[in-house]
Amino acid sequence: MKKLKVIQKGWHLGQDGPGHRLVYHLQGCNLVCPWCANPEAVAVNGALMIRRDRLLSEVCPHGAIHDQALDRSVCSSCEARECVTRYPNEGIRLSCTEHAVSELMDEVRAARHLFHSGGGVTLSGGEPTLQFAALGALLEALKAEGVDTAIETNGTHPDLPRLFPLIDTLMLDLKHYDDAKARATVGHGNTTVLANLARAAAEHGRVWLRITLIPGFNSSPADLAQFVSLVSTLPQQHLSVELLAYHEYGRVKWEQCGMNYNMNVAAMPTPNVVEYERQFRAAGINVINT
Amino acid sequence: MKWHQLYQAATLDTKADALFEHERSLSRLDGWFLVQESRMRSAALYQNLGPELAAAEMLLRVVAELPLTIHDAAVFAGTQRDAFARTYALINPTFRVDSFEGYCDPLAVYNDIECNQEFTHERIEAARAFFSQTPYITQLKEVYQSAENDTGEIAYFVEQVTGHTIADFRPILRHGIVAEIARIEAMLQCESDAGKRQVYTAMRLSLEAAVKLAQRYGELARRLAATAPDQRAKELLLMAETLAQVPQHAARNLFEAMQSFIILWQVMCLEQSPNPYAFSAGNVDRIFEPYRAMDPSDRQTTAALFRHLLTFFNIGDRSWAISQNLMVGGRSAAGCDLTNETTYAVLDAFFRSNYPQPILSVKLHTGTPQALHQEFGKFLFTPGVLTPSFFNDNSMFEVLGKAGVAGADVEDYAIAGCQEPLIMGKDNANTTNSWLNLAKILELTLADGRSTLTGKQIGLGYAGLGLDPADPLHVLTHIEAAFYEHLEHFVARMVTAANGCSRALSNLPVPFLSALMGGIDSGIDMRDCRRQGTRYHGSGCLIHGLSVVADSFAAIRALRAARPGDAGRLLAALRQDFAGDEPLRQFLACAPKYGNNLPAVDDIACELATRVSALVARQQNYLGNPFRPDFSSPSTHLLYGYWVGATPDGRHAREMLGYGLDPLCGEATSGLGFRTLSIQKLPFHDMSGGYASHFGVDPKHFPQATLEEKGAAFNECVIKPLFFPPHDAASPFYLYVNVNTPETLRKVLANPKKYAPNGIYIMRIHGTFVNFLDLSPAIQNDIIKRLDPESTRP
Repeated sequence: MKKLKVIQKGWHLGQDGPGHRLVYHLQGCNLVCPWCANPEAVAVNGALMIRRDRLLSEVCPHGAIHDQALDRSVCSSCEARECVTRYPNEGIRLSCTEHAVSELMDEVRAARHLFHSGGGVTLSGGEPTLQFAALGALLEALKAEGVDTAIETNGTHPDLPRLFPLIDTLMLDLKHYDDAKARATVGHGNTTVLANLARAAAEHGRVWLRITLIPGFNSSPADLAQFVSLVSTLPQQHLSVELLAYHEYGRVKWEQCGMNYNMNVAAMPTPNVVEYERQFRAAGINVINT
Repeated sequence: MKWHQLYQAATLDTKADALFEHERSLSRLDGWFLVQESRMRSAALYQNLGPELAAAEMLLRVVAELPLTIHDAAVFAGTQRDAFARTYALINPTFRVDSFEGYCDPLAVYNDIECNQEFTHERIEAARAFFSQTPYITQLKEVYQSAENDTGEIAYFVEQVTGHTIADFRPILRHGIVAEIARIEAMLQCESDAGKRQVYTAMRLSLEAAVKLAQRYGELARRLAATAPDQRAKELLLMAETLAQVPQHAARNLFEAMQSFIILWQVMCLEQSPNPYAFSAGNVDRIFEPYRAMDPSDRQTTAALFRHLLTFFNIGDRSWAISQNLMVGGRSAAGCDLTNETTYAVLDAFFRSNYPQPILSVKLHTGTPQALHQEFGKFLFTPGVLTPSFFNDNSMFEVLGKAGVAGADVEDYAIAGCQEPLIMGKDNANTTNSWLNLAKILELTLADGRSTLTGKQIGLGYAGLGLDPADPLHVLTHIEAAFYEHLEHFVARMVTAANGCSRALSNLPVPFLSALMGGIDSGIDMRDCRRQGTRYHGSGCLIHGLSVVADSFAAIRALRAARPGDAGRLLAALRQDFAGDEPLRQFLACAPKYGNNLPAVDDIACELATRVSALVARQQNYLGNPFRPDFSSPSTHLLYGYWVGATPDGRHAREMLGYGLDPLCGEATSGLGFRTLSIQKLPFHDMSGGYASHFGVDPKHFPQATLEEKGAAFNECVIKPLFFPPHDAASPFYLYVNVNTPETLRKVLANPKKYAPNGIYIMRIHGTFVNFLDLSPAIQNDIIKRLDPESTRP
C-alpha cells in the first residue's frame, strides 16, 4: 500500500488552484530556497519543530532538552524519537505524518461536497514529486473518481510530464530564468525545469507559471525582461503567469526547525508587481492573481 | 387620513431615530414594579377566584392603572418598557463569571430597581416580602433547596420558563379580538367542564384587557392632539382612529396591523412581567405581507414603517428586552419559497436601524432566491452591523417531523429565544427548563463523585458506578460506561427538579397568552401542569460540554493505549489541576480533538451526542411529554466551565467549555472545511430542541468587489457546504456568524469613539444581538476568543 508523508492539510479558496480546494502539503524538497515558507518540509524524513514556551525536558530520555532549548546534535543520532512517539507533547513535534493513499481518498470522498466553485484537491509541498510513486497513485485515484486535481511543483522532476494526464491544473514555480543563478541560490539548476515548462505549455491544458519575486535574486527590471522574454517564447494558449510578492511567513518556522532565516531584504528595492504584470501583459502573456 | 398619505419614508426614519435615541436615554425601568404593586394590591380582592380568573382580572387592572405616555416621535402607541426589569446579566457591565451561582432567585429582581424618593426602600421591600409568601415563590424555593447539592457546582441547573414562546397573532390581526371572543363564547356554550369554563372566561377577560389598553392609548392620543401642532395633531388623530379599530377589529392595512401587533405584544409581556424574555414574533414577513399588499406604499416607505416596529422591541438604555426574535424567509411544506416583498422591506428596516434588539433570523432552503443571499452581504460584511442567524428549512422540517410535528404545521416553526425551534401558536416547549453539564459529570465520575474544585461529595462514588477504587486503570477502562450511568443518575434528578419548577410556575396562569396559543380550542391554560393546553408541548434540556467530554474520552483512550501505567497519574493530576505534571497535560492535549475531521474523536462526539440525546428524549415532563435535547450554551459554556475542574483533554480547571456543539476554542486548527466535516457527522435528527454553533469569519477571505457579491459568495462558501450537502444524512440546521477579527474588536474596545461613534457596535452572541460596548469584559473576551479564526480558514 502506497503511503504519503504529509506535513499539513488544509483548505484554500482560489489560491492553490481553482475554487475551494483540499490541499495536502507533502514532505520533502530537493531545493533549499532561503525564503521558503515551509522549511519544515525540506527534510525527506521530516523535521523536528519546537515551541520553546512549551518545551519540556521530561519528554526526551536522552537529555536533549534543557533550558528551554533542543540540542539537535543529540537528535541527529536518535532513532527512537520518544519525544514524538512515546511522549507526544506541545513543545516538539515531527513535521509530517504518514497516510495511505486509501486513507486520503476516504477523506476526499467525505469532503467532495466542499469542493465548490470548481474546487478539488491540490498536492503541494515541499516538492510533491519527491514522493513520485505514491503521488501518482493518489492522482490516479482522484482522477478515477472525477476529482479536480492540481499540483504545485518546482518542476525539477524529469518524469513530471508522465503525470500531466492526471493533473487538471499544473502550478509550476520558476525560481530563476538563469541556470547558474538558480543553482547557486536554491541548490538546483533549471534545465529540467525549463524543459518541463516548455512541454507543459505545449501539451498541458492549464499551466500556471508562478514566479515569486525575491529582492536581490530575481526581481530587478532586467530580470523581469528576461522572464518576459523566456515566457513569450512558449505557447500561450493554456499558459498563465502569476507574480507573487516576497513575504516572510516562514520566518517563525525556520526558527522552530532550528535553522537560521538569512533573508534580509530590508535594504532591497521592492519590486513593483503591478508594473511587472503590465510588462507581461504587454508581451501578450496572460497574467492571473489568485 | 391614510397613513401613507400622512407619512413619508424620510419622516418615518427621522421619527424612528428619535424614538430610539429617547429609549436609550432611559436609565430606569420602573413600570414592572408598578405592575407588581398593582397585583399586590388586588390579590386579596381576587383571592377567592380561581387562579386563571384572578390572573385575568389582575391583568385588566394593570392595563387600567398603568401610567401611559406617547412620545412626540411615536407613530404607534405602545411600549414594552413596563414589562421588563433591568435584569439580564450578560449586558450588565459589572457581571462576572465567578459570580454565577446555580440558584435562581425569583426575588432577585427586587435588587434591580434602585431606591429613590418615589420608589423607596420600604416600598420595594414590601413588595419583596409580599411575593416571597406566594405559592409560586415558596414552591420554587423548595425545588431549589432540594436540588442544591447538584446545582451548587452545576452538574445541572433548572429554571421555570417564562416568555420563550411564539404566540400566533394572525387570527386577531385578521379578524379582531371580537372574533376571538365570539369563538370563546361559542366554546362556553357547549363546555361543561367547570375548569375549562373558568379558563375561557379568563381568556375573554384578558383579551378585553388588550381592547382596554388600546382604548386608553386612543384617548390619550386624542387629548394630546388637541394641543399639538397641526402635523402632529393629524398623526395623533390617525393613531387614535387606528386604536379604535385594532386590535378589537380586523386590521385593514399595514399600519393597523402593526399597531394591533404592538398592543397585543405589550399585553402579552405585561401578563408575564417582570420576566417575559424571549418571546418571538415568528415569520414577520408572512404575518405582515397580506397587509402590505393592501397598501400602495413602496419598499422604502414600508421599511421605514417597519423601523417603528423594531424600535418597539428596544427597552431602556441597554435594550433590556433581550432575545426577541423576528424571522423572515423559508419555504412551505410543499417546498415553495415563501419570501415576499415584505421580506426585503424587513431586511431594509433592520439594516437601517442596526439596533441591539430585536433579533433577526433567516430561514434558508435550497430554493432560497439568490437575491436574498445577496441582501445578506451588507449585514455580514459591514463592521458593527447586526448579522442574521441562519436556519436550514430542509433539515429542520425533517427534524421537526421526526419529533412529531404535523406536516401542515412544520412551516410555521419559528425560533423562540436564541435557536429553539417551536411551532407558532401551538407549542409550549419550556425551552430552558433544564441545563445539563456533561463535563461536570465527567469530572465527578473520574473523582469518586467528589468535586475536584471544592472536595464536596456531589455524585456517586466509584463503588456505586462499578469502578474499582483500588485500580486506576480499571477506572479509566470503564470510565465511559460509568459516565453514562452517572449521567442517568443526574438526569433523573434534574428532571424531577425541572418539573418542580414548571409546577411552581403553574401557579401563575397566563390566560391572555393561552388564547394566542390554542387555548381557545383546548380550554386549558398553557401553563396547566395537569392538562395539556397547547397542541405541542415539551420541556427543554440544554446540554453542555460535548466537545470537552468527547476530547476527554479520546485522550483517555490514547493514554490507556500508550501508557496504561499512567492511569493513576492522570487521576491525581486532575485533582491537582495538572500542577506539577505539565508533561502529562501536554500528552493529553496532543490527543485527537473534535473539529478536525479526525474519526478517532469525531466518532466519539457523535456517539456521545446520540446517547445523550436519546437519554434526554426518554425523560418525561409533568405532562408525560418528552424533554427535547438542545445542544446550546447561551454564554453558559463560560459560566458552567468555571465550575468544572481539570478534564482529561488537557483543559485546566475553570476554563470555558466548548460553545454549543462547537469544538473547544483553539482545538479545531485545520480550517473551515474540516470543521464542517466534523460537525456534519453529528446526529442532527435527534436535536429536536435545537443546538448552537458559531463561525467567526475573517472578512479578508471574501475579496469580492461588492457587498452583494460577498453575500452570494458567503452562501457558496459557508452556507451551502454546511447546510446542503448532497448526501442523505441529516444536515446542520443552525448557524450564527460574526464576520470580524480579534484585532478589529480589540481596536473597537480601545477606541470606541472611532469605530462606533453612536456607541453601538453590534455583534452576535449565541442567539441574540448585543451591543458589544454594553457587555461585561468577560463576555467581550468570550466573543473575541470564540472568533477562533484558525477554525474557519476557508
